[in-house]
Amino acid sequence: MVGAFEQTLLALMMGVIMLGMGAALTPQDFKSSIKRPFGLFVGLISQYGFLPLIGFSLALLLPLSPEVKIGLIIMSCMPGGTTSNIFTYFAKGNLALSMLMTVNSTVFGVVLIPLLIVVYAAGLGISVPADNIVRTLIILLVPVLIGMALRRWNANVGALVELVGGALGIFFILFIMVSWVPRNWQFLMNTPPSVYAAVIGLGLLGFTAGYVFSILLKLHPRNAQTISMEIGIQNGPLALAIVALSFTGMQQQQIIAVPALYSLFIVINATLLTLLYRRINDRSQGKLPDSFL
Amino acid sequence: MSQATLAKPWLAYYPPGTPAEIDAPPVRNAAELVSASARLYGDRTAYTVVMPNGMYGDLSFSEIDRMSDAFAVYLREVAGLSVGDRVALQAPNSLPVPVVAFGVFKAGCVLVNVNPLYTAEEMGRQFADAEPKAIVIVDMFADKLPEAMKHFAIPNVIVTRVPEFMPSLVKGVIGLVQRHWDRTIPDIEVPHIRLPDALAAGEGRRKGGGVTVESYTAAIGGDALAALQYTGGTTGVSKGAMLTHGNIVMNMAQTMTFIEGHVKKGEEVVLTAIPTYHILAFTLNLLGFLWLGNRNILIPNPRPLANLKRAFENYRITWIVGVNTLFNGLMNEFWFAETPPRHLKASFAGGMALHGAVAERWLKMTGTHVIEGYGLTETSPVVTGNPIGKAREGSIGIPVPATEIALLDDEGRPAPAGAPGELAVRGPQVMAGYWRRPDETAKVMTPDGYFRTGDIATMDPDGYFRIVDRKKDMILVSGFNVFPNEVEDCLARHPGVQEAAVIGVPDGAAGEAVKAYIVRLDPGLTEADVKAHCKKHLAAYKGPKFVEFRSELPKSNVGKILRKDLRAELSAAPAPAAMQKVA
Repeated sequence: MVGAFEQTLLALMMGVIMLGMGAALTPQDFKSSIKRPFGLFVGLISQYGFLPLIGFSLALLLPLSPEVKIGLIIMSCMPGGTTSNIFTYFAKGNLALSMLMTVNSTVFGVVLIPLLIVVYAAGLGISVPADNIVRTLIILLVPVLIGMALRRWNANVGALVELVGGALGIFFILFIMVSWVPRNWQFLMNTPPSVYAAVIGLGLLGFTAGYVFSILLKLHPRNAQTISMEIGIQNGPLALAIVALSFTGMQQQQIIAVPALYSLFIVINATLLTLLYRRINDRSQGKLPDSFL
Repeated sequence: MSQATLAKPWLAYYPPGTPAEIDAPPVRNAAELVSASARLYGDRTAYTVVMPNGMYGDLSFSEIDRMSDAFAVYLREVAGLSVGDRVALQAPNSLPVPVVAFGVFKAGCVLVNVNPLYTAEEMGRQFADAEPKAIVIVDMFADKLPEAMKHFAIPNVIVTRVPEFMPSLVKGVIGLVQRHWDRTIPDIEVPHIRLPDALAAGEGRRKGGGVTVESYTAAIGGDALAALQYTGGTTGVSKGAMLTHGNIVMNMAQTMTFIEGHVKKGEEVVLTAIPTYHILAFTLNLLGFLWLGNRNILIPNPRPLANLKRAFENYRITWIVGVNTLFNGLMNEFWFAETPPRHLKASFAGGMALHGAVAERWLKMTGTHVIEGYGLTETSPVVTGNPIGKAREGSIGIPVPATEIALLDDEGRPAPAGAPGELAVRGPQVMAGYWRRPDETAKVMTPDGYFRTGDIATMDPDGYFRIVDRKKDMILVSGFNVFPNEVEDCLARHPGVQEAAVIGVPDGAAGEAVKAYIVRLDPGLTEADVKAHCKKHLAAYKGPKFVEFRSELPKSNVGKILRKDLRAELSAAPAPAAMQKVA
């Protein structure tokens, strides 16, 4: 289902995407997030509090195979993806907030992700190779640091890397749709409805939880939209990479279906949500003078 | 000294070492500015253009010098222009701007800045008036040329682009994005040459020998025409202010005396987010900061303001020249408010009144001062400024060196001491007149050489000036003068108000009443809130009788709120039904 060639391509792509993410960042971004522990806290709570709980509940309530349950737990414990930044951009949301949340959740994810996966997996009575997951995460942080260094060294190189990383994020989605879906058509037909319910539900409940939580905290609607996108859209490629690098054989193939299906459906759902937010934001946007050029 | 000229009590407030008069310009003409600074600062970066995603391109002092030489040769030898011929430049802030502007000066030609956002109709009118022999236009707007050239056919069209002179890979990527993603590059239907080709042609011609760039400007002194700077001016008719080399170079020198003590030569990084086709950024940033050896960060498009984020992140911005709208807007950007620039020394605000509330908030947020200056296109532009550290709130400061001021009444006689009068200026920065409009020139120049600004001002006893208002903006409520600036400043201090404009409307018995147009920050703000706020801070007659909430206010190309557009709207609207019945 995901062959050796695809795995290599995936790893390479993941590297470039993370490089691009790093190139979009400055140390100031970290400083300003630490300066506002409240925002950081809200982000981490939503990302690593609500979503894994949603994933766990779905795994508990729906009739799923142990492999799909592992996949679901891993998927729900992922940080925000760069894809969420792209959707936030198109939704005219708060792009900087989205990027910052992605980075924060990725950085803190090194510790939190394996921890959460182990805890929730234990709750479901299944075991996962936590050390492999940690190693994968640390390896993936290296390109982020390189990206930051590139931008510092030369802003043009940084901007190019960022552009390529972002474009690859979109390419990745298209790649799944165009190449993976037709070849795995039979598999998709055979997948039970409960799995679809789980992967689609994870995204939708994530959107809802992020939005409701932000509104309860009286955040600006634009930020609430951004947070909901950020929480609902997980880093699918990272989950694929983790599964590909941490599991082997038949088990790997069965688990990997979850991030693959999730990535597929989140694109559709996030597109619809983006259109909605975009309409709302277009209407309420404070305009700068038209002639300010 | 004319009888109207005020004594100069303000000299006491000049920064140490600032002369009262500037006897001679630092250079003979604007062309020498660039060659002189290239000799001093050589390979240091003079201009950096920064795109919203952080992509950038640099040109050093020497490169600007060399490339503007090539462009001068192109204009004179290849395009066949002569001394005094006009050359139009229509481009947003980008690297071609200094190359072309200095090339035009070096060729002994006259620069005509054209607003890139003009419609074909507006361009056409300006072309017909200035009759340029050549135009340098950015590709994004070149589709308007065929229509505009129906008014006046410009023989030489040179096309440039925003990423011009950036590294080739980056230029290619931006080009692809502009062409295929933004789709902002139209087909160009008129015969043209590309700017790099024009430079290559000029360079080739120079290497061929027999050409000395210096000879083009041998006869160009302070009185020679340098630029036609178009303005609505005080009467609303668009016309070209004739600015001489002396006007521009002297005003640069006059203004820099106020700033010099806070500028380390060769080390400052100035944010140039306001357009260089406007006289403020042209004189101060493009010329002034160059003259002191500093680096300009050119922002092609500051809308939305998030486009400035990368510039602030990637460069140690130490100075900002801007307008009230820019400073106010930046503080409402969360990324700016959270990490205000750490290396900022001070900022200069011009173009419109700086609201006290904005200056105070800026000081609190950045720990630095925005000093307000005052000037007009006709005065190249700076007339007065607040010395750093001695700024006085609500004041446009004290006149720059070598400037004489008079306050005149409606008949052109000196206003009584301490009373408001129309601010009139005499000095090396005052234009030579309006291009081919002796009638309009006569309306604004007094017989003894003062330029009447149309602004009503008062002078504090020690020489600080305050603009109480534009002459024609003043509102007369039951015989009391109401100055819109004062009411607007009061409105701007309300936390729920993002920005406000105030005009006078006809109002039966009172003659005129105050009407406020407000853009809300807090969507819950009501008319009653606004009126209560004004009642607390202003005399009753000054408070707005009518309040209208808007999503935006009409603004000029530098973000100046256009009260005249609001007035025009009002007079164009049909009279209310009740009044029609009576009539």
